Amino acid sequence: MSHEYIPEIATDRDGNEHEVQGWQGDFYGGKLGFWLFMFTEVLMFGAMFMVLSYYNTLHPQDFLDASASLNRVLGGTNTVILLVSALTMGLGLLKMRTGDVKGAKLMIWATILLATAFLVIKGFEWSAEYHHGIFLMHDQLLAESPLPFGQKLFFGMYFTMTGLHGFHILIGIGLMIWLLKRINAGKVSQDHHILYWNIALYWDIVHLIWVFVFPYYYMIGAGGVTGGH
Amino acid sequence: MDTNTIDYKKERAGYYKILVGLLLLTAVTFIQPHLFMTHSTFLAQMLIAVVKAWLILMFYMHLKGEKLIIWMTGFSLFIVFTFFAIVIGVDVQKFQFQDESYITKSSTKAHTTDAVHSEPASHSAH
Repeated sequence: MSHEYIPEIATDRDGNEHEVQGWQGDFYGGKLGFWLFMFTEVLMFGAMFMVLSYYNTLHPQDFLDASASLNRVLGGTNTVILLVSALTMGLGLLKMRTGDVKGAKLMIWATILLATAFLVIKGFEWSAEYHHGIFLMHDQLLAESPLPFGQKLFFGMYFTMTGLHGFHILIGIGLMIWLLKRINAGKVSQDHHILYWNIALYWDIVHLIWVFVFPYYYMIGAGGVTGGH
Repeated sequence: MDTNTIDYKKERAGYYKILVGLLLLTAVTFIQPHLFMTHSTFLAQMLIAVVKAWLILMFYMHLKGEKLIIWMTGFSLFIVFTFFAIVIGVDVQKFQFQDESYITKSSTKAHTTDAVHSEPASHSAH
């Protein structure tokens, strides 16, 4: 199967032929469109942060106690993992732009590896919380449990937001595997790298969301408060 | 921004500098509750997060030099802030179903604790 680009020709009413500009050549338009998509992500997570802030104003001490009980070492490790993965993704894009396709693919694999490590650590964390009876619609988060109501709200939002974030990581891994296939097929190259650019942007927004998720959940209760489970 | 004319070494060095900056800020995130603004941990953490976000947006997401997208980002944040923080915030402050809502019921009780305590024992028994 050939991947040669065949331009479409349109003819105006005077019989003049014009080449129809394909999206492949519209780098800025492709980038702008993806930024619009990312705004919807900001709106979605922004709304969740607003809900979280409102609950926080209702139950400030419960939020501090619940935050103090989260595992900051695992959360911090995941923060560093995402940080380094943003670098590998960026360096990969840089390599693609300079024509080093092999180096770019290597960087994508490194990013996939780091993303998987993030999910594995998150899995361990959730598993530990589950064994403490803290999980959505389970044991301590049930309405009849004695856990303070504010902590129930905190953990409810914690599982919802970190779960949704984890889902984004999963989608990111899928996108990177698709990107590798497109590179192998010759569809993404030094001259046509908008797909790579946008997937790198997607990975950055996933990182950006974590930049706020981590301190809000893990760090606000780190100031020596007592409590937790 | 032209993405085809690039200075690989210069851009790579820029990426590493931002990585070091972000790692340092992450370290500050961990030591802040014991070092400074200890009574305003939430505020301090969010300020550090904003600085980290700015670095990511400007350098990793290449917003530096992108006037149109910066304006779009600013406008979107303005919309989010205006409608979510101010409009909904005001609405929430005057939430008319505060006593009925399962979420706000407990906090309403906390506000009215003094009133309950001042009632006669026979009333509070109910």
